[in-house]
Parts: sequence; structure tokens; C-alpha cells
Amino acid sequence: MKLKEAASVLAVVLVLAGVPLSLWYWRAIAVRHRYPPGTKIITLTAVADGGIWTQDQVVGFNYWNGKPTRTEEIQLNKGDNVVMRLRSVDVLHSFAIPLLRVGPVDVPAGHTVEVSFTASRAGELTFLCWQVCSPDHPGLHGRFLVSGTEEPEEEEPWDTTTERGDPSDNSPDTAPPSSVPLAHHHGAGEHNHAQ
Amino acid sequence: MMANANLITETTSPAGAQLETWRVNLFTRWPWLKRLLQMRSFQFLAILPNLFLFYLFLIAGVFGTPVGNRNIIIVFVWILWWFMLIGVMVPFGSRIWCTMCPLPFFGDWLQRRAVVKVRPGKSPGTQNTFFGLHKRWPKRLSNIWLQNIGFLFLATFSALLVTRPIVSMIVFGVLIVLAAVLALVYRLRTFCNYVCPISGFLSLYAMTSTIELRSVDKDVCLKCKSKACIRGADTGWACPWNVYMGKLDRNNYCGLCFECVKSCPNDNISLFVRPVATSDVVLRGYDEVWKACIMLVLALTYSVMLLGPWGTFKDWANISEKGDWRGFGMFGAGQALLALVIFPGLYYLSIRLSKWYARADAVPTKELFLKYAYMLVPMGLLAWIAFSVPLIMVNGSYIVSVISDPLGWGMNLFGTAEFRWTPLWPEWVPFIQVPILLAGFYYGVRGLHKVAGQLFSDPVQLRRSLVPPAALLLGVTVVFLKLFIG
Repeated sequence: MKLKEAASVLAVVLVLAGVPLSLWYWRAIAVRHRYPPGTKIITLTAVADGGIWTQDQVVGFNYWNGKPTRTEEIQLNKGDNVVMRLRSVDVLHSFAIPLLRVGPVDVPAGHTVEVSFTASRAGELTFLCWQVCSPDHPGLHGRFLVSGTEEPEEEEPWDTTTERGDPSDNSPDTAPPSSVPLAHHHGAGEHNHAQ
Repeated sequence: MMANANLITETTSPAGAQLETWRVNLFTRWPWLKRLLQMRSFQFLAILPNLFLFYLFLIAGVFGTPVGNRNIIIVFVWILWWFMLIGVMVPFGSRIWCTMCPLPFFGDWLQRRAVVKVRPGKSPGTQNTFFGLHKRWPKRLSNIWLQNIGFLFLATFSALLVTRPIVSMIVFGVLIVLAAVLALVYRLRTFCNYVCPISGFLSLYAMTSTIELRSVDKDVCLKCKSKACIRGADTGWACPWNVYMGKLDRNNYCGLCFECVKSCPNDNISLFVRPVATSDVVLRGYDEVWKACIMLVLALTYSVMLLGPWGTFKDWANISEKGDWRGFGMFGAGQALLALVIFPGLYYLSIRLSKWYARADAVPTKELFLKYAYMLVPMGLLAWIAFSVPLIMVNGSYIVSVISDPLGWGMNLFGTAEFRWTPLWPEWVPFIQVPILLAGFYYGVRGLHKVAGQLFSDPVQLRRSLVPPAALLLGVTVVFLKLFIG
């Protein structure tokens, strides 16, 4: 009986320690190993209420009280390979980086969508929510600050018609050319690549 | 009582709560089941997977996505668990959920300082050693009124509870802590018996279940000197629910921990199968009658709020999104008024009419009020099942996606994280709900008829006494039918 009691206590301890450790391992280590070494993994969460894309965690305990409000400015180097893990914690959002011709990709509530791209040009690159998602939609933007020298490059056409993006909603400085294909959105298991 | 190896038929129990019926002794039929339940580690092994899941739920409530349909605490608890509990476990397993419930686990552990082993000893009133203050629960709280009020209170905030992971987490977290604190202060499972809001409705609806844990021969219990079932022994803990098997004749307050199966020196306890909603037909206090009223009214208001076409009610209940405190106040007060005053008042009126119509002056109103209230039990349970059917059929597909990504972090453990929301034959929902409701009405009236048989020997008087309460039950059924099929 002593052995059974000890085994039972051990099982409880394993559960109590094992569950958070497994989750931590997945989040801190396992995710990184899914991508080639050197890939920059950036998790952005879209929040309609307050209008923000944020790298901070927006989860159960702070969604209703204490959401982040800082507009993101993300440092990159030209040529960086980037994987964006995009999340929405409320409504359907749509992510795009017009100057890199990334997106728009749908980011449904509660889902994680991955988009990969190469930071192929230097400068300030705005990312934003591509569709009117809420009254605070205008706040859903941020910037990549890509360091490096800019070289002239041949423009390629960009098509937003295959996704939910509404080109009529574009502001002039972010409006992409109005034709041609782009990325599909995928679940977290797969990802898009747009360059 | 007549008995053979497997089948026992009873006329009435000593306390008159059970009516003539058949039952099958499962321990005789399946000896392996008895050996399984006699294992000291059985209950722990039943709790452990749920402890793992509930712990994951709590973590998901804090660190998982706030989107309810992508968070395991919402999807598993309020879609899967709720349906399994109300639709499967209670009707076919009585309080089998209490066997595996993780909420009181830490309280038990603190109180016993043991997970599977038994500590013989002499803690007051028992043959076991318990730790903590081991106080008696106040007599005036030894009923299910706290559970009634607790459940009604939680139900008022149900729009928050079933959609916001953090709210569900807080509620379950508080219940676990409360269970542990009460176990340290009071003796046995005070939390389960008198406080847990889930336990309250399980106690009521377990009456309809097809299984029961009982003594094989009550005479053996009455002659038993050790009373090991309630006092404990070297082989089993004193009944955590404080139940003496010699007098147990209803499922209400037996939490199926099976300690008595382990401790009974006469090998006189067994698990029986019996017909549905036939055996335990007596409510014994106003707390139980009001529980039946509250549960039936809540099934109604939930159906209005979650399944009905009236957006205004939804907005009133949904205080966090809409912020309409006046509307929420009206919703909460209206629901409480309906559950605590109006519906019990209608039921009381039907009893007064019943007494008048049957010329039953010799039967005290209180007795009629308590006994006829059984009709609300099968009706309430089946109304809850009917209400829960669309939840599982329409939203059950969330289970498939959440199982792969329990916290909404972008995991894909089983390759189903992106499984789309797929309602399962939603057009068939009313065709399933209607027979369930009609079955509730049937079992309610049948129970009423059986109880009336105990009270009236004159068939005319008996039939007349049934008319007003049966009319009330019919009215309830029609309201539900109107809600479900328009």
C-alpha cells in the first residue's frame, strides 16, 4: 500500500508539474525548432477593442483588463527571413504589409495564422489590418524598421483579389497595385511565403 | 422483498421512497466490477485524468485565448462535459461524475493526508483518522439551499461563464479552493454535500438514474454493529457523504465513492441497475422542491436566452458586451422571481387545486406539495437534455479543433486544429428535442401517478388529484415545445 500511495502522489506531482512544463516547452522551444535556424519568429496579436497589433501576450487574464496599448515598431535587417505568427483574440482581422506585398491574409478569431516573408527592402514598412474590423480599426497598424541600404528594384504586380481585403478601404500611402495574386492564409501548421 | 442471484424485486423501501420495481445486482452478474470498485486506488484512478484536464482548463483560462470557442475550458466544460453530464452520466450513471470529480480532490488529500490508503483511528464519529478541525457543519445549513442559491447566482452570470475562459477559470478555481478550505474546517465532504452548486442538481436528477448503490439486504445493515459504511474501517474511509447504507433509499446524497463497498464487513453493498425514473420518487424537503423548480425555470430561461429568437433577452444577459446594467438587473431579478416565487407559486396553486378537486382534506397540503413535486424531476432533467442537444450537435465540432489546439496558441497536436465549425444535422434537432420533452412529460405524469398511489386508495380521488399538477406539467411541456419548434 505504501508503494501505491507513493506512486499516486508521484502521479499527482507529475500532473501538476508536467502540464505547465509541457506548455512552456512547446511555446519556448518546440515552436522555434519548426523553422530553419536564423528565422525571425514574430508573434503579433490583433485586438479589435482598442485597435492594436501587439507582440505582447493577450490572453484570458489580461484581455478584459490590461490589454497593451503600445503601437509596435519591430526592428529587422534587410534580408531577414521572418515568420509572422498572427493571432486574433476577438474578430476576423486581415494582415498585410503593402510595401512588401505580403497579404492580405485572414486572421480568424482564436486562430493562429502563419505568414513568412523576406525583408527585401529597407526603411519603414507599415503593416496593418486590411479590412474594417471594428470602430478601432484605424489603430490596427505598426511598423517594421528595416535597416540596410535600399536598392531600386523592379516592381512586381500584387493581387489582393483572392483574399478578403477590400482595396477600396486603402489609404493612399499603403494602397497596393490593384491586380494580381498573393498569399493564401494557412493554419499554424503550414505557412505562406511571400517575397 | 424477493431475491435471487441477479434479480431483486422490491415493494417499498423501509422509508417508503422506493416503489415497486425490479433491479439487477451488477456485482453478482459481473464479479470483476466488484473487484474493480473494491480496489483502493479505483477512485484516484478515476479522478486523475480529470485532474489533468481540469488543471489544463485552469491554465487555459488564464493563459489561453480569450476566444471562447477556441479555448478548451469553454468548449470541453460547457459543450462536451455539460452534455455528457446531463445527457449521459446522470440518467445512466447517477452521480458517477462525483466519483471522478477533481474539485474535492485536494480537500480530501488534506483531510486524510492520504491519496489511496486508509488511516484507521478514532476521529470523532468515525473509525478513521482525519486531519483538520473536523467540525460539524451547522445544522441549519444541512440542506441544499446554499446549492440552490449558488446555482441560481451562477446561472444569472451564465452568459459570462460560458463564453469567457477567465470567468470559468475563476469559478472553478474558487470551487477547488473552497472545497479544500471546507475540508480542513469541517468533517467529511461538506463542500460536496452542502455547497457545490453542481452537486445540488446532480442530487436531484440522480433520482431518475438507472443505477443505484444500495445494501443487498437492509436487515443485514440493521443488525450490523460496526456500521463501517458510515463510520469507516481499516479497509475504507467513513462515508464522505455521511450516508448510512441501512437507510439509504434514494440516490440523492450518495456520491458513488464506493468506500462502503470496500469497508462493509458483511459484503452487503452492491450496484444495481433499475428502470429509469421509477424508483426514487419522493422529495423530502422544501429545499429539494425549490431545486426542482429552479432547475426547470433555468432550463426555460436558458432556452429563451441561448436558443430563442429574442435578441433583447440575449443583450440583457450579456452584460459584459452590452453593458446594459438595467437590462441585466431586470433579467437577473426576473429569472430569480420566476424560479423562486412565480413557478413555485403556480405549483403550490396546482396542489391546492388538486386537494380541492380530489376532496383530499385528510392529506396535508405539505405532504402533497412535497410528494407531487417529483413530477418536476424527470421533466426538468429531460428539458435540460433537450436544451443541451443543439449545443452538442451545433457546436460539437469545436471539440475537434480545440483538442488539437487547447489554448488557441497555434498548436496542432492531432492535425485537427483547423477543423471548421460543422453543425451536425441541425435540421434534425427539433425532431430529437420533441420526443425528449414528451418523454419528460410522460415520466413526470407516471411518477405523479405512482406517488398518488401511495396517498389515495380511491381511484377516483387519485385521478382527480392528478389533474391540476398534470395540467401544470402539460403547460410547461407546451412552453418548451413552443420554444424549441416554434
